[in-house]
Amino acid sequence: MKIRTLRLLAKEGTKNVYKNKLMSFASLATILATLFVLGLVLLIIVNVTTNLEAKKQDLQVKFYLRVDATRLEEEEVALFIEQSRASGVVAEYQYESREQAYENAKKDLKYEALMEGLTPENFAVGYFVTLTNPNDSDQFIAKLKLFSGVDSQWITYPKQELERISGMVRVFNYVALFVIAVLMVISILLISNTIRLTVFARRKEIEIMKYVGANDWFIRFPFIIEGMLIGLLGALLSHLLTSQAYGWIKDGLNTLFNSIKISGLQLVEFGELSIRILVVNVLFGVTIGIIGSFMSVKKHLNV
Amino acid sequence: MIRFVDATKIYSNGVVGLKNVTVKIDKGEFVFIIGASGSGKSTFLKLIMHEETPTEGEVYVNGYSVHNMPKSEVPYLRRSLGIVFQDFRLLPNKTAYDNVAFAMQIVEALPREIRRQVPLALGLVGLSKKAKAYPSQLSGGEQQRVALARALVNNPAVLIADEPTGNLDPKTSMEIMELLDEINQRGTTVIVATHEKSIVDAMKKRVITLDRGELISDVKKGSYTNED
Repeated sequence: MKIRTLRLLAKEGTKNVYKNKLMSFASLATILATLFVLGLVLLIIVNVTTNLEAKKQDLQVKFYLRVDATRLEEEEVALFIEQSRASGVVAEYQYESREQAYENAKKDLKYEALMEGLTPENFAVGYFVTLTNPNDSDQFIAKLKLFSGVDSQWITYPKQELERISGMVRVFNYVALFVIAVLMVISILLISNTIRLTVFARRKEIEIMKYVGANDWFIRFPFIIEGMLIGLLGALLSHLLTSQAYGWIKDGLNTLFNSIKISGLQLVEFGELSIRILVVNVLFGVTIGIIGSFMSVKKHLNV
Repeated sequence: MIRFVDATKIYSNGVVGLKNVTVKIDKGEFVFIIGASGSGKSTFLKLIMHEETPTEGEVYVNGYSVHNMPKSEVPYLRRSLGIVFQDFRLLPNKTAYDNVAFAMQIVEALPREIRRQVPLALGLVGLSKKAKAYPSQLSGGEQQRVALARALVNNPAVLIADEPTGNLDPKTSMEIMELLDEINQRGTTVIVATHEKSIVDAMKKRVITLDRGELISDVKKGSYTNED
């Protein structure tokens, strides 16, 4: 097909959106509603996942060197931790020197008598390490055990907690995927039904085109442009609506949390996700519009 | 130009559309296809334009083997034909001019060419002054003229008209038939399916008569009365 013809057909499709106002509106409303729900579901997913991931980040690998570790052994471990941070495996860490451990113990223990005779030298150096990726913990701990200075009995990591959270994230992701899949199927059905109505109303037009000798693409193209434009418009409107609705929900929840004094639940800012949600909306809307038009026209092409 | 060889069409519900029809229509001919309702007139035309394919036998149109042509070639066959229907079948949201231009856009004609040919075609059917009117603003006769202009604008070798005067009054019908005759004089093969006796009798053209799908007579300069 020549560029000139494509331009002509694209213009035709654009005009048709306006000419078939009622049907365009019906399709637009369907796409808008679907994408709005999809947007909110995505935001719930992102929020829950972000909060669960944040909980994972709080989990620390805690380990102590042997009390009798030599300076050299201490320096080896210090170097390893520092290198791990430089390479990005370790996000951050806290170092507890023998002196600090001694002071902390003094503070924690109620009975000073228990501390009698103890000096900082009786305490071990400790590290509290936050890993960039909590799933790397096994590997990290295995490496730590290779150091002679590290007391392998005193490496702790709340693995069960990690597995519980990871399990929750996994289950939640499955549920989310399922919800999205169901939403997609519903929306494809809804939208292709609406477009089918549009196409049905114009089946005579398609028939005439066929009799005059138009090939299938010549007929399909304006409908596809039409579907694409409606999808795009639906996506943009839905993005506006989602951002507004999310703002209200967020404010509402924050007020609620404050009033019942729950803290620690952090709602993601819409701005951070705006582009991603927009991209998903546009891709989804445009694809649905195109597929819907393509499928609905197909039936009427066999004249 | 058009050749039916032992062509039979039986519809999926068992109705016989055409039965062993063998006929040849040469270039430049004017042919009436007549017969009562259900005689097979429409099936005859549908086979020519590949709206239906024969169950048995062969149909050749403008060099295309309609009985076994790939779907992708159908648009090209149809572009070699001009088709006019009883109900005009104009695009309601396009003006008379745009309806005619549309047939040229489909064959990807140059805009310059379209601007030149469309007024000529509308002029030929006497509708130059109604170019900007929409179908709903035109009378039945005028709509049929637009349909004729659309059918002619790409200079098809064959013009097919299925009951072109079925929705028109006698006077307008005669005008349309005169127009078809004029088109035929310019060298286009014209095939008209009709059951209007007066028209067929007046025109004195070749008449092919169908009855229950069978070709029962084929007369040069015939009339409806041949059958009566």
